[in-house]
Amino acid sequence: MTFRRKLLAVFALTVFVSVAAVALLVIAGTRNAFEKTEDQRTAALVTQFQREFGLRGDEVTRRVEAIAASDPVSRMATALHGTSADSAAYFELAKQMADGYQLDFLEFLDGHGTIISSAQWPAKFGYPDTGFESLSASSGENAFLKREELQDSTALGLFAVRTTHIGEHPVYVIGGRRLDKNFLFGLDLPADMRVLLYQNRSEHFAADSLLDPSAPANGVDPARPADKFARLIEAVLQYNQEMTGIVSWSSDQADDEVFHALPLRGAGKDRPLLGILLVGNSRRSYVDLKRRIGAYALLVGGGGIILAILLSSWAAARMTRPVVQLARAAQEVAAGNWDTRVEISGRDEVAQLAESFNRMTAELLAQKERLVQTERVAAWRELARRLAHELKNPLFPLQLTVENLMRARAQSPEQFDEVFSESSRTLLAEISNLKTIIGRFSEFSKMPHPQLQPVQVNEILQGVVKLYQAQLQAPGRAPIGCKLELDESSGTIAADPDLLHRALSNLVLNAMDAMPNGGTLTLRSRRDDGKTIIEVADTGSGLTREECERIFTPYYTSKQHGTGLGLAIVQSVVSDHGGRISVQSEPGRGTTFVIELPDNLEALQNIPATQNTGENAAQFPN
Amino acid sequence: MKLFDWRSLVVSSVMVGALAANAETRPQYGGVLHVAMRAAPTSLDPADTTQPESFARRSLTLVMFDTLVTIDENRVQPALATSWQTLQGNQQGNQHWQFRIRGGVKFHDGTALSAETVAASLRAANPSWNVSADADSVVIERDRPDPELLAELALPRNAIVKRNPDSTPSGTGPFHIVDWQPGKKLALAAEENCWRGRPYLDAIEIELGKSYRDQMTALELGRADLVEVAPEQTRRVSLEGHRLASSDSIELLALLFARDAASADEKLLRQALALSVERGSIRSVLLQGAGQAAASILPNWMSGYGFVFPTDPDLPRARNARAQVHAIPVWTVGYDGADPVARLLAERIALNARDAGLSLQPTASASADLRLVRIPLASPDPWIALANAAAVAGIPAGVPAGKDSGSVEDLYAAESAMLATQRIIPLFHLPVSYAASATLKDWALRADGSWTLADAWLGSGKP
Repeated sequence: MTFRRKLLAVFALTVFVSVAAVALLVIAGTRNAFEKTEDQRTAALVTQFQREFGLRGDEVTRRVEAIAASDPVSRMATALHGTSADSAAYFELAKQMADGYQLDFLEFLDGHGTIISSAQWPAKFGYPDTGFESLSASSGENAFLKREELQDSTALGLFAVRTTHIGEHPVYVIGGRRLDKNFLFGLDLPADMRVLLYQNRSEHFAADSLLDPSAPANGVDPARPADKFARLIEAVLQYNQEMTGIVSWSSDQADDEVFHALPLRGAGKDRPLLGILLVGNSRRSYVDLKRRIGAYALLVGGGGIILAILLSSWAAARMTRPVVQLARAAQEVAAGNWDTRVEISGRDEVAQLAESFNRMTAELLAQKERLVQTERVAAWRELARRLAHELKNPLFPLQLTVENLMRARAQSPEQFDEVFSESSRTLLAEISNLKTIIGRFSEFSKMPHPQLQPVQVNEILQGVVKLYQAQLQAPGRAPIGCKLELDESSGTIAADPDLLHRALSNLVLNAMDAMPNGGTLTLRSRRDDGKTIIEVADTGSGLTREECERIFTPYYTSKQHGTGLGLAIVQSVVSDHGGRISVQSEPGRGTTFVIELPDNLEALQNIPATQNTGENAAQFPN
Repeated sequence: MKLFDWRSLVVSSVMVGALAANAETRPQYGGVLHVAMRAAPTSLDPADTTQPESFARRSLTLVMFDTLVTIDENRVQPALATSWQTLQGNQQGNQHWQFRIRGGVKFHDGTALSAETVAASLRAANPSWNVSADADSVVIERDRPDPELLAELALPRNAIVKRNPDSTPSGTGPFHIVDWQPGKKLALAAEENCWRGRPYLDAIEIELGKSYRDQMTALELGRADLVEVAPEQTRRVSLEGHRLASSDSIELLALLFARDAASADEKLLRQALALSVERGSIRSVLLQGAGQAAASILPNWMSGYGFVFPTDPDLPRARNARAQVHAIPVWTVGYDGADPVARLLAERIALNARDAGLSLQPTASASADLRLVRIPLASPDPWIALANAAAVAGIPAGVPAGKDSGSVEDLYAAESAMLATQRIIPLFHLPVSYAASATLKDWALRADGSWTLADAWLGSGKP
């Protein structure tokens, strides 16, 4: 990641965290405020419901009082007071009166608690009413909750008890309204609020005991299963007190509802928990508000972040421009352009750095020029030394031959012709030797440019070995074994086959020279990292570290009669092919020359076919 | 020994015309009688066994059709048969009978009544009988002595019917069919050439499938002249001043199990259920005093021994029987949802059963472990009534074969055997009741619970 991007990321992250922190603070504050308001609203709604509940109870009480005071009930009480009391005639009276007064439950009981007539369970006539004692004690009091046993179930109802007295024989009128869906429907409730009733029939939550007025006719709302209330109702059953909980209907929080669970207790001393009223309030408005705030926060935050990114980008670009220039200049210097300069603007630390960079490159350039000059002098000295050395060897026989001629002419004129003839051959031979030496230097100065063509590296290596096979096993010298370890994957590269052949020949000759007592010559080829690797290894005496460092220097030689140009030419050929050559050697453990050659096949596309003829082939010195 | 004394039979036939003896006593021709009934038959063929048995169907049949003989005042009277005899006297045990067919009688479609038509009609109603025509006589051969054959032939289902190719039955009764809407309405017109003479009424219009409440409303609004009254309503209807007529208790109300008891445990539970039912309080409250509590299939007035079957509940015995069973199943007790009192009866029985530790679940569903059923007893003849009740209940009749005339002991043994199957728990014997308008005169109730309108006429309604 670039410095500019890092700087940009730091700026953007800082802005993002700041905006997010502000948004979270706003949301948290809003939620607290809303929940407080919501709690107050729920409390008001619960109070309203309880008031409504009380009104319904009063209504039930009034109706039961009216029934108790009605003529039919009075006539029944009078008839039952007689000696020939026959309650069978009033068997249907409770049903008729319940229908007339719109009550769900109505029973007439005699003074012993025996059912005379029952609207909710007509067949129960003649049976004693359970809980008669507590019911008779409730006569005249306000409405209360009671669980009523029916034919095949139980029901929760709001009951009132009144008594009709004829003489000393009372008739108890117990009437009520069922707490069912219709009752819940009839409650006047605000929007977004709904009421459910759980009838406590067992110790643990039972889904079929929950009455949901908003559920379909079959009582099962697949979108809002009753099981969701299990935890809240179990908690109320356990702690027997009001509780509040959130019921989630889906993954969408807007569908959640806050339910306030009110325990409904019956009459009597122990006040049994008969049911639980669930007053629900939708959280949609709260969630919508929260989402709006979140959306606004996201919008503002997003805009801020985008703006921050733009500003940060501009600032980062402005701040990093000198650094980028310095980096580019450093790359230029590394690439060899030592005269690279950077523009200096301002007076800050970056400007000082640029100024120092410019001074450093100027100093480096001066030192480089001095070094080149020194090396040039050293090269000339080496050349002079080598020329002197090379020329001195033939000159000494020339001098001796001429002096011998002069002496022969002066001392033995009769033998002069013979001496002259012999000396002339010697002179010609030495002159020829001088010309050869001069020709080699001349040819080195005129190194040909490689004429690239597709070349099979393995074929070149095989050709070289074939060429020198006879010399390796020549009589009169210790035999040298030759091994070819060729990798078949070493395919075709673009190279000048003659130059490459001659370079490899030089290395083979060098190896032969390094093994006067025999040994093994190994030529290898392989592919490595997209390049063709050629190794020429001997088992000769090896090179010292210093020799390894200087061995490719022109005119440097470790041999007594070498010109020092052979390996320089090899390096030149390899370099002209875009490759590199290195040497691995230790004294006494042989030497290995490693040549790395690129494929260069793409270079063939732009080369005319005539260049592949090898017309510039040159001879190289050994 | 004669099975029962026909003279001692308490005939509840009420001659409504007699009530107005001091007023209109001379019958008048004309007028249309409007009748309403709860049954809704979809076929008028008396031999159609797919139609549920009901008193209304009996009444309808005998308005349009005639039987070979009738039972009147406990005596067998000739009808379409003028005389009869057993071919080998009584030596063969009343096994072969010959009936001489009345001459000059015509069906409503104009064809003459013949022995062949009568034989075909009887064969259709009784596939097991061997019936043949012999000139103007019909010979009936039974596979065993049948002293009750005459009572059997008097049953409405053995009425003589000429079945036309268009499946409309034609009879010889006092009224013929004018309009027939199965299950809804039946319009009849007086048969001018009836062999018994033209009836007084010009026509009868019968509304079918009407509830008790709708019938009573129609009567009060003057839209019906003759309606049915539910047993539990008879006291109220009577108190309201309507003209009410009730038969003897000719209908059995019982619990009928769908299958035989599968184990000794189940028999104990059925015994517990039978012992737990408070018939007395149910009769006094739910049935408003109508009928009699019963633990026998035949009513006491019919068999003479019905009182020996105890009807009072015995909860200690019921609980003891139940206590011998560990696993208590929940039985569903089915009832007729259209019957206004049936649900209350089922709930009360379930409540009584709960006292004995049993669990019954009332249901209006057609499939139930046991059902609360009403079985109209087919005839005042106890053997016929018992056999028909057994057939309706799907219980082996237990009627001894080869008896020339069954004794009371045999009847008791046969009924006890039926009760021992524990398939049926008799609860009540109920009367059949009708309410009539003040204008309907001289209509009568038969002993089998059906009414006859052959001599009925419409007056002014003045007392």
